[in-house]
Amino acid sequence: MRDARSTQLLFELSQAGRRATTFPTCDVPERLLDELMPVAARADAPPPLPELAEPDIVRHYTNLSTLNMSVDTHFYPLGSCTMKYNPKRNEQLAALPGLAQVHPYQPAATVQGLLGVLHDLGEMLAEIAGLDAVSLQPAAGAQGELTALLMAAAYFRDRGEERTTVLVPDSAHGTNPATATMAGFRAVTLGSTPQGWVDLDDLAAKLDDRVAVLMITNPNTLGLFDPQIVEIAERVHARGGLVYLDGANMNAILGITRPGDMGADMMHFNPHKTFSGPHGGGGPGAGPIAVREHLEPYLPTPVIRWHEGRYDLVNDRPKSIGRVRSFMGNVGVLVRAYAYIRTHGAEGLRNVSENAVLNANYLLSRVKHILPVPHGDRCMHEFVASASKLKSDRGLTAMDVAKRLLDYGYHAPTTYFPLVVREALMIEPTETESKETLDGFAAALFRITDEPAELVHEASHSTSISRPDEVRAARKPVMRWRDESAAEE
Amino acid sequence: MAYLLNTHEDQQAMLEAIGAASIDELFASIPKELRLQGQLDLPPALTELELAAHLKERADQNASAVNATCFLGGGSYDHFIPAVVDAIASRGEFFTSYTPYQPEASQGNLQALFEYQTLITQLTGMDVANASHYDGATAAAEAVIMALAATGRKGRVLTAGSVHPEYRQVVATYLEHLDAELETLDTPSGALDAKALAGTIDRDTACVLVQHPNFFGCLEDVEALTAAAHDVGALMILVFDPLSLGLLKRPGDLGVDIAVAEGQSLGNAMAYGGPYLGILACRESLVRKMPGRLAGETVDRRGNRCFVLTLQTREQHIRREKATSNICTNQGLLALRAAIYLALVGPQGLREVATLCVQKTAYAAQRITAAARFTRAFDRPVFKEFVVRDRDGRVSELIQESASQGVLAGVPLAGWFDDLSDCFLVAVTEKRTRDEIDGLAKCLASANTEVSTTHA
Repeated sequence: MRDARSTQLLFELSQAGRRATTFPTCDVPERLLDELMPVAARADAPPPLPELAEPDIVRHYTNLSTLNMSVDTHFYPLGSCTMKYNPKRNEQLAALPGLAQVHPYQPAATVQGLLGVLHDLGEMLAEIAGLDAVSLQPAAGAQGELTALLMAAAYFRDRGEERTTVLVPDSAHGTNPATATMAGFRAVTLGSTPQGWVDLDDLAAKLDDRVAVLMITNPNTLGLFDPQIVEIAERVHARGGLVYLDGANMNAILGITRPGDMGADMMHFNPHKTFSGPHGGGGPGAGPIAVREHLEPYLPTPVIRWHEGRYDLVNDRPKSIGRVRSFMGNVGVLVRAYAYIRTHGAEGLRNVSENAVLNANYLLSRVKHILPVPHGDRCMHEFVASASKLKSDRGLTAMDVAKRLLDYGYHAPTTYFPLVVREALMIEPTETESKETLDGFAAALFRITDEPAELVHEASHSTSISRPDEVRAARKPVMRWRDESAAEE
Repeated sequence: MAYLLNTHEDQQAMLEAIGAASIDELFASIPKELRLQGQLDLPPALTELELAAHLKERADQNASAVNATCFLGGGSYDHFIPAVVDAIASRGEFFTSYTPYQPEASQGNLQALFEYQTLITQLTGMDVANASHYDGATAAAEAVIMALAATGRKGRVLTAGSVHPEYRQVVATYLEHLDAELETLDTPSGALDAKALAGTIDRDTACVLVQHPNFFGCLEDVEALTAAAHDVGALMILVFDPLSLGLLKRPGDLGVDIAVAEGQSLGNAMAYGGPYLGILACRESLVRKMPGRLAGETVDRRGNRCFVLTLQTREQHIRREKATSNICTNQGLLALRAAIYLALVGPQGLREVATLCVQKTAYAAQRITAAARFTRAFDRPVFKEFVVRDRDGRVSELIQESASQGVLAGVPLAGWFDDLSDCFLVAVTEKRTRDEIDGLAKCLASANTEVSTTHA
């Protein structure tokens, strides 16, 4: 059924002389281009982009889209990514001209409605976080982390304290240690206990007066709530350090517990996960941060203020770390988050987390007999199963299982992360799935473990491609199409 | 319960299978003293009907490019977006999927990214482009970090004062705690003087950051500036305007080492500043210092062409603290939109849109400065924006007065440049008609800013 042309590249479909969009004839008196733009600055010809007609382009991309699995089409239990349903109403509302066709440098008086949305979103995020002040500017979770660590650095410099290290548990996302380096700190790894919690002995050994920040994900990447969090935070505070909470897993705890109440001083949200901004095939996300009052002066500029009956933007903040991004942040994503939170209210958000945790525990109970879950019988919103027994018994790896799941019409879980579990399959069903879907997924896993090893090794069989040669891709990187027929350059 | 599927019966059956008495029991690992007593203090839930009414009311409080005429620029522009861009990008298979970690289930996204990367190299004349960054400003900051790593110089980073002030601020924020010093070279004439650069640059300089056309809309002498940088072994990072390349020489042809841009103008909504698209392209020799995702071509087991994420050993999920950047989620959907836009306009369309910008901008400049009150701040060739000086020095009143008449007339420069406090930046895209431009000129010329002004 597939059109053989569907995977041809735009450049291979190109025919000289074809075109799609045309622009109106110039309606102002035209001047000689040479008078306006010096010849020396100009190119002889426009860039060698492909030449295509509109129907070609639409068919090309529509066919390409069918080669993706997505939340709209498939169960997508990609652990740590919270691939929940993305409400259609939010797309429609975010596209309202009064929200989408607004320029970032419009006078504040002309954007009072939008500033109101952003201001209120900030207040709601602060409440959910149990913290005092918010910046909506960071463009993604990783940039939220960077923003917070830069604020910590400024805070300690202000206090005349020289703190050079950031503690990061070994189960953390790679963004945590990478961020520490970018903010000028040295990342020091903390070990975990067999239960998957922070190893307090290791913390004791590594916590000293040089530690600026401890970054912790709670619930952690094993899908476990670390009940030592209060003690950990107290110990860090006792040595003058700050606690950063990676909010990647907020979907488990909305309205149930709050990072601020756990002792966190700073955190980021991932609205594209927790508040259902669509993931867009790899973004856009957003990374708003919430902080305690004593860190508020260091927030990036500008901040939105409600003052004398109107909203305005405040740039004059001498202790601010400055900007981390142009303009106000990923406003379109933030508007969707606002719509999501307003749709749910307090009880609704709590129901989200309750059902996310219920679904994960139910799936865990179905799966654990097939694939052991090394860190226990209960989880929060996700769990990490291990294929290591399957590997020793039958030679099947986590990757084999992941690929074979695609044949059954399920997106694969996250594989080989966190690093502390061998042959890891990190499974996050989210709350927007039914019991029937979870049963079907568990049944597929069960069948896969029973299938001939050869069949599973060779999977996937039904996708548009079989397993790609990733080694070749890395050894001889080809990162652009080149015109073989023409002697370019 | 807007998007939940579990019925009460489902919940009971699931709890039974789990062996738990209640949902509450599933949260037993959270210590009691941490459990929220009562509910979050949030506004009440809204149905779809109520939410739509509420957001429409708030949206209607804003001026937009639909109910006002937008002459604002400075890195975000009211350009035309063909319908195909929204039609394709709103397909759920694109916008509800994620980073293509499983290539077998993501060939659509991977091929689209590979095509995007290729389109950007064709557009810029650079060797390699990554799969996107957050926005133009952060792409510039990451380019500077690339240059520091590539040159091994822990010293000076020079930027022209004519680079977008917010980009310079972001670079400064990123460098604050690293071994590098950002120095801004003044551009009193509206562009960076190559001799002035040559006079200060030295072998401790890792890179030079220049924007062309620059923040004021003016062209820079990129070839001369690049030569000055290369003379001392420093890299040239150029912030470019994608649509300007319908007419201007490409960054790769000008000899620059890293080219970055804001890709909003390629089919992406202004959306009050985001989400936008950071474009980052470089020479082949710098690719292993590059941040972010890269799609690459390979073959599958049957020998068919296919695409994967490649060179991932640069990235945070593999290299952790030694990664080239901490970036993870980037701007995939906006890269897709940019690719569709470039495919739609093609080489001829790109030339047309660039030419319309130049002609209409020149016309607007001539019309506005026909009033004695207004002059051009810089007598230089411009692409799609220019700086207007108000001899009366009442810019903020002028902008407010125009806004009250439905004209978003320009961006005041007072907050960024002390010597341009009586100036504002006017941008004219292909969307602006002669009538609208005449209307802007009339609105500015007749603005009564002497008496106390109305607040829009």
